[in-house]
Amino acid sequence: MQLLTPLALAGALLALPILLLYMLRLRRQELEVPSIMLWQQLLQDTEANTPWQRLRRNLLLLLQLLILAALVLALARPFIVVPAAGSGQIVLLLDASASMNASDVEGGSRFRAAQDEARAAVSALGANDRVTLIRVAEQPQLLLAASNDRLALQVAIDNARPGLGSADWPAALTLAMGGMAQSDDFSLVIISDGGLGDPTLLPELPDNVTWLPVGSAGDNLAITALATRRRAGQPAQLFTRVTNHGARDAEVVLSLKVDGELVASAYHEVEAGADLPLVVEALPASFRRIEASLTIPVASEIPDHLELDNQAWALVEGGSGSRVLLFTPGNRFIEEVLRSLPGVEAFRGDLSAGLPREAYDLTILDRWQPERLPVGDLLFINPQRGNALFTLGEEQEFAQDIHVTPGDARTRFVDLDDVSVQRWTPVDAPWAQTLIEADGSPLLLAGEVDGRQVAIFTFDVHRSDLALQIAWPVLMANLLDWFAPPGLLSARDSLAVGDALQLRPPPDAGGLRVRLPDGSLQELSLARRPLLFADTQQQGIYTIEVLEGGNVTRSQSFAVNLFDAAESDILPRELLFFGQSSLAPGAREEEGQLEFWPWVALLALMVLLLEWVVYQRRRAGLTLRPRRP
Amino acid sequence: MAEARVFDERTLRRLEQVMLWSQRARAGAMKGERRSIRRGTSIEFADYRDYAYGDDLRRLDWNVYARLQRPYIKLLEDEEDLALHILIDASVSMDWPAGDADAERNKFRHAQRLAAGLAWCALASNDRTQVHGVSGAGSATFGPHRGRGHNLRLLDFIAGLQPAGEVDLDAVLREQALRGARPGLFVLISDMYTPVNLTDALNELAAAGHELLLLHLLSPEELEPPLAGDLRLIDVESGGAREVSIDGNLRERYAQRLDAWRAQLRRTLLQRGGHYLFVNTDTPWERVILRDLRGLGIVR
Repeated sequence: MQLLTPLALAGALLALPILLLYMLRLRRQELEVPSIMLWQQLLQDTEANTPWQRLRRNLLLLLQLLILAALVLALARPFIVVPAAGSGQIVLLLDASASMNASDVEGGSRFRAAQDEARAAVSALGANDRVTLIRVAEQPQLLLAASNDRLALQVAIDNARPGLGSADWPAALTLAMGGMAQSDDFSLVIISDGGLGDPTLLPELPDNVTWLPVGSAGDNLAITALATRRRAGQPAQLFTRVTNHGARDAEVVLSLKVDGELVASAYHEVEAGADLPLVVEALPASFRRIEASLTIPVASEIPDHLELDNQAWALVEGGSGSRVLLFTPGNRFIEEVLRSLPGVEAFRGDLSAGLPREAYDLTILDRWQPERLPVGDLLFINPQRGNALFTLGEEQEFAQDIHVTPGDARTRFVDLDDVSVQRWTPVDAPWAQTLIEADGSPLLLAGEVDGRQVAIFTFDVHRSDLALQIAWPVLMANLLDWFAPPGLLSARDSLAVGDALQLRPPPDAGGLRVRLPDGSLQELSLARRPLLFADTQQQGIYTIEVLEGGNVTRSQSFAVNLFDAAESDILPRELLFFGQSSLAPGAREEEGQLEFWPWVALLALMVLLLEWVVYQRRRAGLTLRPRRP
Repeated sequence: MAEARVFDERTLRRLEQVMLWSQRARAGAMKGERRSIRRGTSIEFADYRDYAYGDDLRRLDWNVYARLQRPYIKLLEDEEDLALHILIDASVSMDWPAGDADAERNKFRHAQRLAAGLAWCALASNDRTQVHGVSGAGSATFGPHRGRGHNLRLLDFIAGLQPAGEVDLDAVLREQALRGARPGLFVLISDMYTPVNLTDALNELAAAGHELLLLHLLSPEELEPPLAGDLRLIDVESGGAREVSIDGNLRERYAQRLDAWRAQLRRTLLQRGGHYLFVNTDTPWERVILRDLRGLGIVR
C-alpha cells in the first residue's frame, strides 16, 4: 500500500488533543449529591477488578482514536498498484453501436460488459491521469472531457446507453486523436466487440492503443434487406434477405405483416454464414407498409444473440414521390433529367402496347400520343398531331428572339439567351399560358384544363441545344414541381438508424411534427431552414405530418432500419484493423493506482456509529430500566 | 431547605387524623397506657400463682380459694408510661433533594413530619416524649414532656430545626446511651450516610435498655440517581469529590450496592432486638406511621 498524499498523516497529531482532553477530563460535569459514600464503595470494587473494566471506561477514547486514524488514512489517499489499460491522458472509446446490444455475455449485454470494463479502467486511474470518455454511436458523443473526477466518470459511464445503429468509428477516432497533439502522455483505450467497419476508412493509430474486447459468440440471424417494388399493371413485389452470421445452420420463421395484418409466416433454413434471399409475390393489391420479423423456433438450439436486427419495415415503393410515365421513341435528355430529379419515380411506357391500366401522376408524351389521352397530368413534347386540348399550326424554322415570361415560378432561374431552336410547330391552346415565346409564337405553354395540368413543348429537344444548356434541368425541375408539388422528404423511403434527412414542408404549412415509431410526437420549428431531422434513433416507421389550423393536412412516412451487415455480424474480432495496421486484444500493461480511501472512510463512519451507540447506551442505560421497588 | 412551612394546614390536619386514628385503634386494646413487663396493681388480671408466706392477703383470690380450697394470689398488670426518644439527623445530606419543586420529597422535611407525628401520638398517650435534633451546628432537645398541652411547643421545636453541617452519628448515639435516660423506644430518623460503623453505638443503646427503631430515609433520586456520563460528584456534607463515569452497568451495580447496604442495616437492627424501616420519601409520612409502623407493632 502506498499513499498519494502522505502529508495528510500529519492529521494524526489530532490524537494528542483528544488524549489530552481525556487525561485532563475537561469534560467532567460537577454535580452535588447528598453523599458519595455509595459511589466510593462502588468504585473501590471496580478498581479492584480486572483491567478490562478500566478498558471499558476508555472504550469511547479507543473508538475516537480509531475514527481519527481511519479519517487520516482516508485523507492520505492510500492505493495499491494494479495493472491498468492506460495512463496519462486517456481517451476511452466506448462502443455503443447496435452490435453492442448482443446478449452473448453473462449478466446482460455486451454494452454492460463494456461499461464494467470502463468502470474498472476508471477505478485504476492514477492521481494525475485524466480520462476523456467518448460514446461511439451514430455520431461520436463526448461524455466527459479530460476529467479526473472518478465519481463523475462512473456516473457518465453508468448513464451511457447503447445505440441502435452503426457506430461512426472514423469520426470517433479522429476526435480521440485530436487530443494527441496536446499531450505527450497519451493513451487510447477502445472498448469494443471489434466491429469497427471498413478499416480503410479508419486513421492509422499510434502505438499506445489498448483494445479491451467484449463479446464471446457470433450466432445471429438478421433481416438484412427489405424492399418493395411496384410493377406497372401488377401487384407489388417484396424482396427480403435473411442472413445467418453464425457458424451453424439455423432455422427461422419469417413473418410478414402488411398494414398491421399478418399475411405470411414461413419456416426457412439458413445456412451458416450465408444469405437467404426471398421474393414474395403474393401481396395484396394495395397497401402502405410492411413489417417483417424473424423468430427462432422454440426447438432450435441455435441462439440469436442480437434481437435488434430481427425486425424490419418497408413502405411501398413510390409512396412518397410522384410517378411519371414516359412514352418516347428515345430521348436521353428527358430520361437523364427524370433520373436525376429527387422524388420522381420514372416508368417507361411501351409504345406498342399503349397505355397501361394503372394511373400515373404525370404522363410524358414525347413525339407520340395514344388514341385516347391518359388520365392525370400531361406533358407533350413536340406533338405530332392535334387533339381535344389543342390544335397545331404550321411548322416554323429557326426561332429567334426567344424570351421567357418573367415572374412565373415555372421559368424561374431559366436563362435562354444562348438557346436556339431549329424547328417548332406552333400550338393553339387558349387555356394555356405561354411561358417561352419566339417570334410571337409559343415554344412552351402550360395551364390547367379539364381539372388537370398540361404543358406543351412545341419543339423537339433534339432539334434544339436547350438540352445541352443548364437551363434544361432547371426548367424540367420547375415544371415537375408545378405538376406535382415536391414531397415532404428529400430522402429515399428507407434510412439507417441515425441518418439525418431534410424536410421540405410546404410554404403555407402552419406546423410540422414527426410521429416516431414509439408513438411519441416531436414538434419541429418551421423557423429554421434547412429543416433537418436527425432524431432517427429508433427503428420503425416515422410519419411527418403537416399541420394547418391544428389539423393534419398532409403526411408522409419513411422507414428506419438497421440493415448493416457490419453490425449484424456480431462475431467478436480477433484483430482490429486500422488502415494497414492491426491491433490485438490488449493486456493491461500500464500501472494504475487503485485507491481505496472510500472503504477506509466507510470504516470511519461505521466506527463513528458504533461510538455513538456506545455513548447513548451509557447515557440511557439506567433511565431505561424499570424503577426498583 | 425549602421555605414552605413544615407544618402547614394540611400537615396539621393529617397529624390530627393520625392521632385520632391511633386512639381509635387503641380503644379496643388498652386504655391510654402501655403495658409494663412488671406485674402491678392495676385492675387488669394477668395470672395466678401459689400463695407464699408474706404475701398481701388483699391480693388473695377468695373465690378461687372457696372453689378449690387452695390459696392463689391474683397477679394484676402493672401499668406504666412509655419513654419515647426521637433523634432527628439534621446533617446537610438530609436536606435532599433541595429546591422548592422537590420540597415534598425532601428527606429532612419528611423526617420532621414523621418525628412530629410520632411525638404527637406519644404526647396524646401521655407518654414521656423527648425529641433531639442533631446538626453540625449543635443539638437541641425537646422535653421530656408528657401530655397534650405540649403539642404546640413540640411543633414549634421541630419546625425550628435546620439541617447544617456534618453529624457524627456514632458519637451522638454513644452520648445518648451514656446519658442514662429512661429506657424506652429510641427512634433514629436518618439517611445513615456515615462512613463510620454504627454497630458499637447501637450496641450501647440496646444495652442501655432502649428498643431501637431506625427510620432510614432516602429520596427517589438516591434510589435511582438520574446521572450519566463522566461526572465529578461532590458530597454536599463533607465537600469530598469523586470522579465517576456512569453508564448502565455502573448504575446497575449502584442499585445492587444500595440493596446490600439496606439489608445490612436491617440485619444490624434486628440482631439488637430493634426495628428497621426503610422509608422512600415518595411515600406519604402518615402512611409510614399508620401502615408501616403499625405493621411493625410500634404503633397500635
